[in-house]
Amino acid sequence: MISMNKVSKHYGSFQVLADCTTQVQKGEVIVVCGPSGSGKSTLIKCVNGLEPFQSGEIIVNGVSVGDPKTNLSKLRSTVGMVFQNFELFPHMRIIDNLAIAQVKVLGRNPEQAREKGFKLLDRVGLRVQAEKYPGQLSGGQQQRVAIARALSMDPICMLFDEPTSALDPEMINEVLDVMTELAQEGMTMMCVTHEMGFARRVAHRVIFMDQGRIVEDDSKEAFFGNPRSERAQQFLAKILHH
Amino acid sequence: MHEFDWSSIPNALPFLWDGMLISLEITLSAVVFGIVWGTLLALMRLSSITPLSWFAAGYVNLFRAVPLVMVLLWFFLIVPHLLESLFGLPRGTDMRLTSAIAGFALFEAAYYSEIIRAGIQSVPKGQMAAASALGMTYGQAMRLVVLPQAFRNMVPLLLTQGIILFQDTSLVYVSALADFFGAAYKVGDRDGRLVELLLFAGAVYFVLCFAASRVVRHYQNKMKTA
Amino acid sequence: MAYNWNWGVFLQPTATGDDSTYLDWMFHGLQMTIGLSLSAWLIALLLGAVVGVLRTVPNRWLSGVATAYVEFFRNIPLLVQLFLWYFVMPELLPENLGNAFKQTNPIVQQFLSSMICLALFTSARVAEQVRSGINSLPPGQKNAGLALGFTLSQTYRHVMLPMAVRLIVPPLTSEFLNIFKNSAVCSTIGLLELAAQGRQLVDYTAQPYESFIAVTVAYLLLNVVVMSGMRWVEAHVRVPGYIGGK
Repeated sequence: MISMNKVSKHYGSFQVLADCTTQVQKGEVIVVCGPSGSGKSTLIKCVNGLEPFQSGEIIVNGVSVGDPKTNLSKLRSTVGMVFQNFELFPHMRIIDNLAIAQVKVLGRNPEQAREKGFKLLDRVGLRVQAEKYPGQLSGGQQQRVAIARALSMDPICMLFDEPTSALDPEMINEVLDVMTELAQEGMTMMCVTHEMGFARRVAHRVIFMDQGRIVEDDSKEAFFGNPRSERAQQFLAKILHH
Repeated sequence: MHEFDWSSIPNALPFLWDGMLISLEITLSAVVFGIVWGTLLALMRLSSITPLSWFAAGYVNLFRAVPLVMVLLWFFLIVPHLLESLFGLPRGTDMRLTSAIAGFALFEAAYYSEIIRAGIQSVPKGQMAAASALGMTYGQAMRLVVLPQAFRNMVPLLLTQGIILFQDTSLVYVSALADFFGAAYKVGDRDGRLVELLLFAGAVYFVLCFAASRVVRHYQNKMKTA
Repeated sequence: MAYNWNWGVFLQPTATGDDSTYLDWMFHGLQMTIGLSLSAWLIALLLGAVVGVLRTVPNRWLSGVATAYVEFFRNIPLLVQLFLWYFVMPELLPENLGNAFKQTNPIVQQFLSSMICLALFTSARVAEQVRSGINSLPPGQKNAGLALGFTLSQTYRHVMLPMAVRLIVPPLTSEFLNIFKNSAVCSTIGLLELAAQGRQLVDYTAQPYESFIAVTVAYLLLNVVVMSGMRWVEAHVRVPGYIGGK
């Protein structure tokens, strides 16, 4: 579904990503973790072309992301993304946040789009909030709406960029629950997160990054059982003592 | 299509230079008086003495609501007569330059006072408290602690306002005073070369103001990184 | 000093015998000021939005052109720009076009030059506000739009501009007020707007104080009307629950 081959990116002389290679199979859930500044957010944004990269290749569902001839908008409409700061559109009601891209990008008719929007709001338990504006919802609620918005496009896979790190602790679980459910339904997911409990519960593989490199790329069992690199061990120790 | 003839400009340069000096004289005096009077207005506006703060608010809002052209017309057509009759000056005394400077200074003070008020309010309240705790009076605390910090932050805005003021001095045209623009217009009108003189004046203003705003931006960036 | 106040002068028929009062003159001036300012404002908003957006697009050439546009109109005094439009532009146009312009009704010439001048001058300032509005949006908003499959122009249209425009209503209010005040500069090319009528009143009535006070009050009233109008706009575009920028 997603395959990366020797992806590198630098700003001037600063290496953000160095020779990153990995694969994500259909239905797989991958958790990407690592210390801040390790390049994990950049890596996930390269998958749908929000961050350009200088060398290497990323293929999503048979389409090359780096190819200048690729219609990036079309590719992105098939890949759902959830952001750290939710990024709902503050000037639109919740239901319009869910409908607008369906109408303007996929060309669905507005009625169907709203219908679908309501169904997805039901699913994340927020149907009653449909007519409110994003600023009137709590952070956890906004992030659940953001997940529903991404799902409204019927994506073939989902990217999560630290979806819980801007949330107050008591709201983290409501978002993780929605993500867990999605994973159990077989959605292909790539999640940048520090939530190791979530990783243990649903991930198939864990990728650990440090200084722009993929240091570990292992099954969950292997990663939590005994990580090979010292950096990963230190990282896990810090996270667990948190 | 117009055939350009720039030959009247070289001979007129001394006259144009005199005009530029008048423009600069008005700009500088108005900036200095404007900042002094503007600071006083800002302090009045922020003071706890209600009549003072009302007066300052009324003054600032009045001048900011009226076109500069109107203010200048007041100062060229009405104020001189008023002064003549008040002080018994001989009729027809040429007060245009003084009137222009007074008009600009009083007008710009309203704008300066808003910049300065925002600057004073941007200094953390704790600074005033700390100065008072050291035993300073309100006046000392303002003068020695708050205003120096406020002005440091405001320098770019004050300079930018100065550039705008320099551009606005061209409006003394309404009193037929020969500032740089007035001089250029007069030469162009006399020689039938208005097109060339106006283009020349525009180019001179552009070069000066563009360069000055670059300097301000450079200073601003340096302050940000400092 | 012996000054004879006479506020009744406004109701007297004018000395030109054109069957109108001095109050009518003032009213005509006010109409001209409002018509000129509103038409120039509409053009300035449209142009300013386009130029402001161009300044933020990831294309060096386009943003360079937009920057040059803004610098040009910001660094030449309004009066000089007005004279360039009124005296110089007709000479630089192709001959038949320039002549056609010079043969139209002088009022039309004055109005067109004034409108174009004020519109472009103000558009550069509006562009700066639009640019700073767009730049003050959280950077993730653009990514969120793109990630949903919007093209860049769709992202601007549906995501960034609607928010940016709401954020810049207060600074746009002051630009809107400025255009009314700046329109007084157009009296210098003979356009009979409010300030020019004020001057004319002084000449004809020999009651300078009444004339200037009346005109000044008219500007104050315009100011109040525009401000309350914009406050209404501000209240109506406010997004529920949204608390400011970054």
